[in-house]
Amino acid sequence: MKKRFWRCFVCNDIHWGVKPPEVCPTCRVAHAYVEISAKEAKAILGPQPEPAFAPDDFRRAIAAFAEPNEFKVNPDMERVDLLLSGMFANEQNHGLRYCPCRLRSKDFEEDLKIVCPCNFLVHETYKGVEKGECWCGLFIKR
Amino acid sequence: MSKLIMFHGRECPHCRAMMPHVDRLIAEGVAIEKLEVWHDEKNADLMRSYRSVIAASCGGQLRVPTFINTEKGEAACGEMPYEKLKAWAQG
Repeated sequence: MKKRFWRCFVCNDIHWGVKPPEVCPTCRVAHAYVEISAKEAKAILGPQPEPAFAPDDFRRAIAAFAEPNEFKVNPDMERVDLLLSGMFANEQNHGLRYCPCRLRSKDFEEDLKIVCPCNFLVHETYKGVEKGECWCGLFIKR
Repeated sequence: MSKLIMFHGRECPHCRAMMPHVDRLIAEGVAIEKLEVWHDEKNADLMRSYRSVIAASCGGQLRVPTFINTEKGEAACGEMPYEKLKAWAQG
């Protein structure tokens, strides 16, 4: 299924996906999205300020991501700190926060699969494993 | 003669856990070359060149740590006990 860009006609939120959201998550207006070109999406997003996103911001983001799920962020802070330092080094050196425990193939689409958080629910280290964890151990089952 | 390589990542906890095992094997006379792949593109490209061998043993992906026997075309990845690594290296 091909993903496309969509723009909320009220608040200019941009969505990239197969379908637009039923309700805009920002302005809460229903049926507000219209399909736009990638060029238009980039033009809208381009001039936006880029707020800093430091490791502590990512730490909060993954905790919020895990909170409603069956997994949690590993309580081993030393391990988490090491992984985050690797991810942010990878972002600086290679463009995205790639998992430090794998290697990018240089195929962009394929390498999106190893951007953290990856879809570790299907990994053999997690799926069907009682004390499952993602490959790097950042997320573990509760 | 078989050449053994350990591909590892500087910030990979699994790699750090395996490093004492590897150093112990090296101290015992087993020749293992340690190559870091996230901060050295030459090493990364070398690891990618073994992709078909590595992927077959590592869930279809390029994962670290990966141990490869370049002569035999065999790979193993992830954490493992010292004895298992030694058996693999001598196998």
